[in-house]
Amino acid sequence: MITPLKALRKNRFKTSLIFLSMSVSIAAIFLISAISGGVVSMYSAMLKTDGDIIVTQKGIADTFFSDINRSLNDSILQIEGVKVSSAMILGAAPVDPLPIVGIYGVSENRFKSYPLKEGRYPKVGEVMLGSKIYETLKHPREVIISKKEFQVSGVFKSRIGFEDGGVVMNLSDGGELFHKSASIVLVSLEDLGQSDEIIGKINTLDAQIEAKTTESFIEQYNQFKIIQTSSDVIGAMAFLMGILGIVSMMSMVVSDRKAEFGIMRSIGLSSTAIILKLLGETLIIAIVAYVVALGVSFGVLELIEHADKFQGYINGEITSALMIQVFVISVVMALVGTFLPALYASRIDPVSLIQRGDV
Amino acid sequence: MTIEALGLEHFYGRDKVLNGVDVTIDAGSFTAIIGESGSGKTTLLSILSTLLQPSAGIVKYDGKIVSELGNIDRFRRHNIGFVFQFHYLISYLTLRENIALGAMEESRIETLLHSLGISKLSHRYSDEVSGGERQRAAIARALVNAPSVVFADEPTGSLDSKNALGVYELFRGFSCAGTGFVVASHDKKIADYADIIIEMEDGVVKDITK
Repeated sequence: MITPLKALRKNRFKTSLIFLSMSVSIAAIFLISAISGGVVSMYSAMLKTDGDIIVTQKGIADTFFSDINRSLNDSILQIEGVKVSSAMILGAAPVDPLPIVGIYGVSENRFKSYPLKEGRYPKVGEVMLGSKIYETLKHPREVIISKKEFQVSGVFKSRIGFEDGGVVMNLSDGGELFHKSASIVLVSLEDLGQSDEIIGKINTLDAQIEAKTTESFIEQYNQFKIIQTSSDVIGAMAFLMGILGIVSMMSMVVSDRKAEFGIMRSIGLSSTAIILKLLGETLIIAIVAYVVALGVSFGVLELIEHADKFQGYINGEITSALMIQVFVISVVMALVGTFLPALYASRIDPVSLIQRGDV
Repeated sequence: MTIEALGLEHFYGRDKVLNGVDVTIDAGSFTAIIGESGSGKTTLLSILSTLLQPSAGIVKYDGKIVSELGNIDRFRRHNIGFVFQFHYLISYLTLRENIALGAMEESRIETLLHSLGISKLSHRYSDEVSGGERQRAAIARALVNAPSVVFADEPTGSLDSKNALGVYELFRGFSCAGTGFVVASHDKKIADYADIIIEMEDGVVKDITK
């Protein structure tokens, strides 16, 4: 262990460049994965709140475009095995002076999902604000949403950023604002084992609707697939950039240390030993870069989460699974990026030490 | 150990630098290969030491043809040591760590440090000692695995005359103790210390003096 550390210290400038290159790549992978994972996780959590089954307009690509009749909620509540059912309107509108804010029109029985921090739940013509937007708007008594004024009845605190940075109102007010009866109905069951049977019953209520378990809806939701694919592509590019950075820097390192590897070859150290030596050195850099990138990513996510500009909508989530996944990616990045330069080092001809003296 | 070279020829591009060289070197001897620059002495040393494959001809170690040895790295590590004109010590390692770099076991290191007079410098880096001390460390590195033969190319080329003679004396001493030395040099003073002198000229052996 001492020898690789000494080698890294001796070549500290290039070591620093490799470290920086790796740190930036790893942090980029962490951030893009955490942010996209956070968006998916937040929206999923919102739908899963008292929602074992989700009912939307049939064949709709996005819940925001879904339009169903809110009276369905009453019919669903009559089905045996349904514990709670609540209709929701999901929309987005300008809330003066913010250009775009998540607006949630909900049936009264869903208000309890939003723990009040102060005030009371809204009546018609009133709204309650998430604590984040309440702070951003500097504690307003009324807000103007799409040119219509609403009194602020209360403030709630939600761990879901989309809600904490959003506005909740009565379903009827939401309907007027977005010109629809309801976007979705969320159904909570007495027993999850009955979900298939109840889904069947709900689907018979209206030919224009589609009921699914919330889990299966989330798995098939196109928006999530788009976010996930974009994140994977950007993450893959960061991975490749990291590898290219390591290859180019390690090639320079090997070139600088030709004499060292030539000597190793001349005294009989095997090619494998030389390759392992260089892989070991990069692995040390990768581990340190990983730790630093993890810390930087936590810091950046914290800044983003609290930045007014993002209204609390971007809550990056670095899970243990993501940490393990990115650690493996970092190790692979280091090993793949070092392999070719290391192979070249292992084949340096020691004769050049004797004949040319130019290694 | 006996090293035999038979019909060695070697080309660099179209230039023929060895032209039918036959030599036999006995274990435990101090052999000097001398000649003018371009005479082929360094190429001969490289081929004899297994670092370079000849264009034609064979090299045998105790009757075994080098090109037919399975693992040349392993063979080299067990049987051969090298000393170069420039010490080529690794700058981020101490003298002791340099010597230990290729050591199969570390038991000989202290003895070598002591016998080469650098035991007090063992924890210093190469840029903290003199040129002669660096070359002594390089000699210790070559001897650490108790090789049968050590090849040295112009080992005194970067030393002053006093240190150069000191190196020859060391070679002489170790060869008397059983380690063979094959040294390529243009320094004629080496003749005073060597058992066998192979004189090269224009890629052929001009003379062998015992």
